Amino acid sequence: MQRIGIMLSGWLCLLAFTAGAAHTQVRLILSAGSARPGDTVLVGVDLKMEPGWHTYWKNPGDAGVPTKIEWQLPPGVIAGKTRWPLPEKFPPLEVTTYGYTNEVVLLVPLTLATNLPPGPLDLKAGITWLECKEQCLPGSDSVEVTLNVGTETKPSADGAFIESWNKKVPFTMSDSAADHAWWQGPSTNDMRTLVIGHLMQKFKDTIKIDLIKYDSVDFFPDASEHFEIQGATEITSAFASDIRLRKAVKKFDGDWPRQITGVLVLQHGGWRGGNEARLTITDESPADAGAVEKNFGPKPAAATLSPQLLWQMLLYAFIGGLILNIMPCVLPVIALKILGFVGESRSDPDHVRKLGLAYALGVLVSFLALAEVVIDIKAAGQKAGWGMQFGSPVFVVCLTTLVTLVALNLFGVFEVGLGGSALNAAGKLASRPGAPGAFFNGMLATALATPCTAPFLSIALGFAFAQSASIIIMLFLAVGVGLAAPYVVLSWNPAWLGFLPKPGAWMEKFKIAMGFPMLATALWLFNLSAGNYGRRILWLGLFLVIVAFAAWIFGEFVQRGRRFKPVAFIIVLLVLAGGYVYALENQLHWREPVSATETAAALKESPDGIDWQRWSPEAVASARNEGHPVIVDFTADWCLTCQVNKKTSIEIPTVRAKLKSMNAVALLADYTRFPTNITAELNHFNRAGVPLVLVYPKPAGADPLVLPEILTPGIVLDALGLAEH
Amino acid sequence: MKKAFLVSAVMALTLAAQAVEVGKPAPDFTATDINGKTVKLGDYKGKIVVLESYNSDCPFCNNQYRTGAMQELERQMAAKGVVWLIVNSVNPNNASHRTPDQAKKEMADKKIVATAWIDDSSGAVGHLYDMKTTPHMFVVNKDGTLVYNGAIDNQPDPQHDPRTARNYVSEAVDALIAGKPVPVAQTKPYGCGVKYAN
Repeated sequence: MQRIGIMLSGWLCLLAFTAGAAHTQVRLILSAGSARPGDTVLVGVDLKMEPGWHTYWKNPGDAGVPTKIEWQLPPGVIAGKTRWPLPEKFPPLEVTTYGYTNEVVLLVPLTLATNLPPGPLDLKAGITWLECKEQCLPGSDSVEVTLNVGTETKPSADGAFIESWNKKVPFTMSDSAADHAWWQGPSTNDMRTLVIGHLMQKFKDTIKIDLIKYDSVDFFPDASEHFEIQGATEITSAFASDIRLRKAVKKFDGDWPRQITGVLVLQHGGWRGGNEARLTITDESPADAGAVEKNFGPKPAAATLSPQLLWQMLLYAFIGGLILNIMPCVLPVIALKILGFVGESRSDPDHVRKLGLAYALGVLVSFLALAEVVIDIKAAGQKAGWGMQFGSPVFVVCLTTLVTLVALNLFGVFEVGLGGSALNAAGKLASRPGAPGAFFNGMLATALATPCTAPFLSIALGFAFAQSASIIIMLFLAVGVGLAAPYVVLSWNPAWLGFLPKPGAWMEKFKIAMGFPMLATALWLFNLSAGNYGRRILWLGLFLVIVAFAAWIFGEFVQRGRRFKPVAFIIVLLVLAGGYVYALENQLHWREPVSATETAAALKESPDGIDWQRWSPEAVASARNEGHPVIVDFTADWCLTCQVNKKTSIEIPTVRAKLKSMNAVALLADYTRFPTNITAELNHFNRAGVPLVLVYPKPAGADPLVLPEILTPGIVLDALGLAEH
Repeated sequence: MKKAFLVSAVMALTLAAQAVEVGKPAPDFTATDINGKTVKLGDYKGKIVVLESYNSDCPFCNNQYRTGAMQELERQMAAKGVVWLIVNSVNPNNASHRTPDQAKKEMADKKIVATAWIDDSSGAVGHLYDMKTTPHMFVVNKDGTLVYNGAIDNQPDPQHDPRTARNYVSEAVDALIAGKPVPVAQTKPYGCGVKYAN
């Protein structure tokens, strides 16, 4: 009996070794269901592992065996080099291995000969691997898939899936001259320390890159017989312009290597990517490395920015804040402020100074609050984007109402009360005299400034999100200082007020005239809300009319009236309450905006406009599979820069014609409501928010061209021209 | 911060305490075998010693034994007066762990010929020698110098016939006995990772 048992277990063991192993499923998938002779098709070797089990990378590490693919291909089909997606690094450090859990798709390009006859092609492969959890088992399987050779290339259902894995394959950086490796000192026995650096001080936009600090960097080496780069990595600098890490190298035989290849792994937030690196090892650190040290000073591993960099960043933030002052959404409020100063300049200069400071305080407090929100969101693990508070529909409705009231106030429909009544979200805040008014003026300016992402701001803030909480606060405050600066300056230098015009009748006319930009802002906000409520937006309009009516009653009968003041006041309240309950709650359901998909209006702007399709990674993949160049516009309703770009450089006849002639596919990524897939994609390109315009060239594997934030027709046409080839 | 410290510590240990180095004295250790006897490397001075990192559940290690090649090598070594020490560093929580009784049974079933099977479930000897895979082989000269550190042979395949591969251990031992220099002193070891405690 015992002997039978032993024999049985022996047979079972044999079976387990020879048949496909129990914990990994393999299959072959194709990027195209049908292809033409001469085409290159991507085949995916899809390995699905049970939870806890892993298979290995092309360099398995200290232990393990890489997955092997042995092709049995019909004549006329040639398999290219296998593309390995970026693996994970498995502990423990003393036996470091590299591999994959859950699932991996290894990609192999198959080139079809130009003289292949049409018909089905049987593609077979023998796959062998080692799968490990607590124990290791060898696995093998034979898999096959059929590819049709025909007259056209048709993407397969797995095309988008394959493309998503293709994206995880480390790519070669365009500036490989930035990769350096050098020995740190002589060897001790058969061990030596290697420093690997990615030094980008030659990069044009130095400030932009210096501010990116990766959460972690690593180097996964390719396998070698003669030496071993060990698993432990010591990061000495994680700044994007100056990545440095140390690895211990053990030599088995021969001389110390002169060159190493592998993958530089960068990780930032939820994003992780790899760059193929081929490094020539020198005995000394390169001269450039010394220069970098000189410019920016040595950085300890856990350091934040060096002081010089920080000041540079803050300066940019400050300039951004200054520029915000002339943005269309902020200007009318500022104009109000000018009026205030003109009025106050006659009085006590100290008082004026106080007002200037109160305004500055209002701005700074608002920015501090914004910084706090960003920090909280960042802590919550979401990827914060600039302009986020405009994503809340309730906020937008409130702001629309507020700005409408300010416009009405400017038109003279009602005045701001003299006494200290309770603060009211309406025009009282903005036109209120004295320090509180100045304070709230400051807050209003901040609230309105947010969606106007100026170029400088985008750069500075993009990196703010990468930094620590204290840096975020400092950056936001710098912007706030920039925004408030002109008024503080004016309030502290009364002499300069002399340059301001003297008060007069023109002031009243100026005030009314400023009501119109305010009204335009209100209308823009209204349009913004339209995206959230669809056709119900009519009720917001009606609510605003009701509010205007209430404002008139208030102005006419409560403020300027002589009799029935209390009655009029009650009527005002009733009208407002009625408007709120009926229009906002009942009809608009203002706290329940429609979902993004319901408000999906046609993306095409006009009959001869660009035929935009909705963006998704799958849409990009299938368009590229079909051989189209792709233009992607990441935009949002509340993003003014995006709208300006669109009007001046995208929806213009020359670009429209060019896109048509290139047979390009145009995809629109609507960021108005901050969908997380778009946030992730923006992060992938190191942008904090919109605008972002990408042009994917025709060749399937090529990286997209990233256009600058401010577009001109020339920039767009040049990029499209490049993408054609 | 803690992680950085840990990494630096590990790197420092790998670099500085690289006491395991071909051409230098092999680190001495005192361990217990599956019969409860104390095993001390220093006791074997004057003899050639082979250390083997072992885990029969690993297909690479198992391949050597299932084909009978490893046992044959062990017999040859024993005939030449070579001390063969099996080091099993599998931690007690792993399914491949062998209690002393299980180990004794396995030795008998597989007809393993070894001077001692060291019960290294604490991983002490494994870490001392920086044993990475199973199998991972070490050859120590009569005067206690480490002369070989690396793979058993040149075919990292769990299904090859070990008798057809170039066996670095027998090559090293034969060279030592003939008084010649060891032709290959270091290779990259292959196999499954040693199942240390995490």
